[in-house]
Amino acid sequence: MQFTPELNFDGGRVRPLAAEDRDALFRVYQQPELPGQRPLQDPAQLDRMIELSVQMAATQRGMMWALEVGSEGNYELLGVVGAFDWQPSMLRITLRIDGLPELGCDLRAAALETCIGFLSSKYHLRNFAFQWVDGQNPAYRDMLTRIGFSLSARQRDGWRTAEQTFVDVELYHRLLDQDVPDPTARAGE
Amino acid sequence: MNWNLETEHFVIRLPLADQDGDALFGLLKNPQVGAHLPRLPMFVSVQSLDELRRATMRFQAREAATWLVLRRSDNVDDLAAFQARITLQNINWMLSSARLQWELADDVKREELAEMISAVESFCFDELQLHRLELRMVPEAAEQRANAEALGYQYEGCLPAQMEFDERWIDQVLYSRLATDRV
Repeated sequence: MQFTPELNFDGGRVRPLAAEDRDALFRVYQQPELPGQRPLQDPAQLDRMIELSVQMAATQRGMMWALEVGSEGNYELLGVVGAFDWQPSMLRITLRIDGLPELGCDLRAAALETCIGFLSSKYHLRNFAFQWVDGQNPAYRDMLTRIGFSLSARQRDGWRTAEQTFVDVELYHRLLDQDVPDPTARAGE
Repeated sequence: MNWNLETEHFVIRLPLADQDGDALFGLLKNPQVGAHLPRLPMFVSVQSLDELRRATMRFQAREAATWLVLRRSDNVDDLAAFQARITLQNINWMLSSARLQWELADDVKREELAEMISAVESFCFDELQLHRLELRMVPEAAEQRANAEALGYQYEGCLPAQMEFDERWIDQVLYSRLATDRV
């Protein structure tokens, strides 16, 4: 039974992870996004991650999609969309994207919108969180607000980068019963 | 590692699952005790036994710790009534962080809470080597928010719709205290 669907959006798609994604995923995790994370050493770890992605979705603990850009017959895997900390009874979940630098904000935003749309319609989730860790690309913060997320809190030293060093984490939330601002509108209009 | 703590006025100890049920029920049946979290009051004493069993399992898994607080006294009545339940939960050993919460008897004063929490914090920061302790409570819990701020917890923001409680969605304000905040 397939719990993680393939979903298309303008410029790409998200789809379930498959065993043959190992090499492409290894390339993604050679350039980890989060401060303090080291490049993945052993590609075999990804086999376990791919297995886990199926188990997580089946037990409603999380979901992982391969994020591909391109069009029919010419897709390239540039990242992974992860949904974790799934609280079915609280109707909330946390999202993240691990992607290569060439995966731009517009495609990240489109992938997030697509996954949010699926999770809200299929599982009735309404509260979506996203953690921005100090040191990540600052442009992601604007991307999040553009698609309806708001900054809720800044956790001091919420992310550990080494044995004794920490950085702050910004927590963004999007509640689906709130209006999503029109990304094409300009202030004052 | 000794998880049982003592201060000038209090004994702060781990629960005894087979002995503490009635006294815990005595504390947690008061609706005000957990209103800031929020948590429903207990209605029957068997609920406290269930809580103690769960606390034991979470402690054995090193996911959480529960302390029950007794006043040091020669008075037998004082020894039979808990002044507080303090819980350390969501312990994340990778991030060196955890969530702290307190549930207090009505007559516990702020300076008494400070004495209890200071001992718990010292244990968390010095013995467990945690770096960050976090509090979450409802925005309208004015008294407990004032307590948190008086104890040196810094406001970090408000998390929307964290749970459904009593037929409405509950926001929670977030506070933290770091090991490095201590003077």
